[in-house]
Amino acid sequence: MGLALLAIAGVLIANRSGADGLAPWIIPSIVFALGLALVWSPLDRVTLEDARRPKLSGLFERDAWARLALGLAMGIGALWWFATWEFTMDPVQRAIIVPLVVLGALALVLAPWWLRLIRQVGVERQERVREFERAEIAAHLHDSVLQTLTLIRAKADDPDAVTRLARAQERDLRAYLYQDRRTEEESVATALALAVNAVEDAQGIIVDVVSVGDAPTDERLWAAVKAAGEATSNAARHGIGPVSVYAELTAHTYEIFVRDSGPGFDPNTVPSDRLGIKQSIIGRVARQGGAAFVQSAPGERTEVSISVPREVRS
Amino acid sequence: MSDKTADDAAVATPPGVTVVIVDDHDVIRVGVRESLEDDIEVVGEARDVESAIEVILEAKPQVVILDVHLPGGTGGGALDVLAEILTGTDAPRVLALSVSDAAEDVVATVRAGARGYVTKSISGPDLSDAVRRVAGGDAVFSPRLAGFVLDAFGAAGGEVAAIDDDLDKLTAREQEVMRLIARGYTYREVAAKLFISIKTVETHVGKVLRKLQLSNRHELAHWAAQRRIV
Repeated sequence: MGLALLAIAGVLIANRSGADGLAPWIIPSIVFALGLALVWSPLDRVTLEDARRPKLSGLFERDAWARLALGLAMGIGALWWFATWEFTMDPVQRAIIVPLVVLGALALVLAPWWLRLIRQVGVERQERVREFERAEIAAHLHDSVLQTLTLIRAKADDPDAVTRLARAQERDLRAYLYQDRRTEEESVATALALAVNAVEDAQGIIVDVVSVGDAPTDERLWAAVKAAGEATSNAARHGIGPVSVYAELTAHTYEIFVRDSGPGFDPNTVPSDRLGIKQSIIGRVARQGGAAFVQSAPGERTEVSISVPREVRS
Repeated sequence: MSDKTADDAAVATPPGVTVVIVDDHDVIRVGVRESLEDDIEVVGEARDVESAIEVILEAKPQVVILDVHLPGGTGGGALDVLAEILTGTDAPRVLALSVSDAAEDVVATVRAGARGYVTKSISGPDLSDAVRRVAGGDAVFSPRLAGFVLDAFGAAGGEVAAIDDDLDKLTAREQEVMRLIARGYTYREVAAKLFISIKTVETHVGKVLRKLQLSNRHELAHWAAQRRIV
């Protein structure tokens, strides 16, 4: 509106100072500017509330239509006048300049509408993408969390089962939300986490895994991971939770520590025919040039330390 | 880890700790309040950034148990709250509580001034212990936070600080302490294993906390930047 008033004021001043003294293009220019303002004005309002989601329905109210029609009429009128204006006698110059100016002016009138249209298409596409993502997440939550909650309700009188279900679901959701997915072969940290998770599921205990450093899982690292899985399983069977697993990968060695919360035992009293520790932990890493120790005493916590040297890369 | 004995916790414990619990989930707030032991008094609760700042400045608790992800403010969650309340000499000490294990959450929160970080799966006695420890001015490092620290300071790559004050590396002793904490040792067990006093363990952990907050190491800066703070 301000623009329109300004334009009218301009016209009045032009009249007062005498139209003869001014160039003849002043009045058509003002008319054109007014038309422009009228055509653009409905767009102001639609973007007022949210620039990213224009209310397009607002554009087609009667008032907006009237402005649009009037503005276009004024614009075209001004251009018509320009097209017939003989500012130069050379017909070639006119044949070039007139169409250019008319096209440019029309583009100016319609540009914001066109831009708006493009943006609207973009917004709609974005919304579709978002909708799709939401549907994906909803599907995942339904398949996992809702199912688990239903299971938990069904087994409400079995605390062990509930704990196990809750823990497994928590891990699943955590992996879905926070982890960049890497396979066991790509990442020894992932391999260890999966090995420990399998024990958690089977034995229904809580194990915290902390890994420092990561690398692709080669044969030696696999041996260490499997030994750690065995150690965790032992801890779950004979000790009490929670169990802590800490793994540290340096340039030269891979070390894993598995520690339960008691009650401990005397390693010397374990019968020699018990193969758990000897074969699947100590033997397994010894074959890869590594070593494993069990440290425990009755009443203390038990800690299994596993270490393997890393393959030297040439 | 629940076998921390009273003498372990009592080292720097002022009797009766006041806390404010900030979490946007009602269930978690109730759970935390219920699980805290009797000598810890809850003097206020809040559920978003604005109410948290108001309640904390009003109630002046010794410790704030702060959820990392909070609605309101400028969208920074706990970082917004920390920026407002950690001013002045009687600022409360903050224990961050989260379900997230993501490095950027942990590191950003500690760098913004939290003195400890525990996950919501922590047991009641352990949480009470952590609150008392933070109230006494000590840092609380969970095994996971210790793991991040070792990762971030290049401990696995063999980087060792030659002088104590090197902010970008840990000393050999600090690395040892962090490794044992990552392995699930309590402060008391770390002390016994290394033949040092609990007080010394606390000093080492405090120094590591300071390095974590002040260091400009690339990894730390990167993790912090993901949460848009430095």
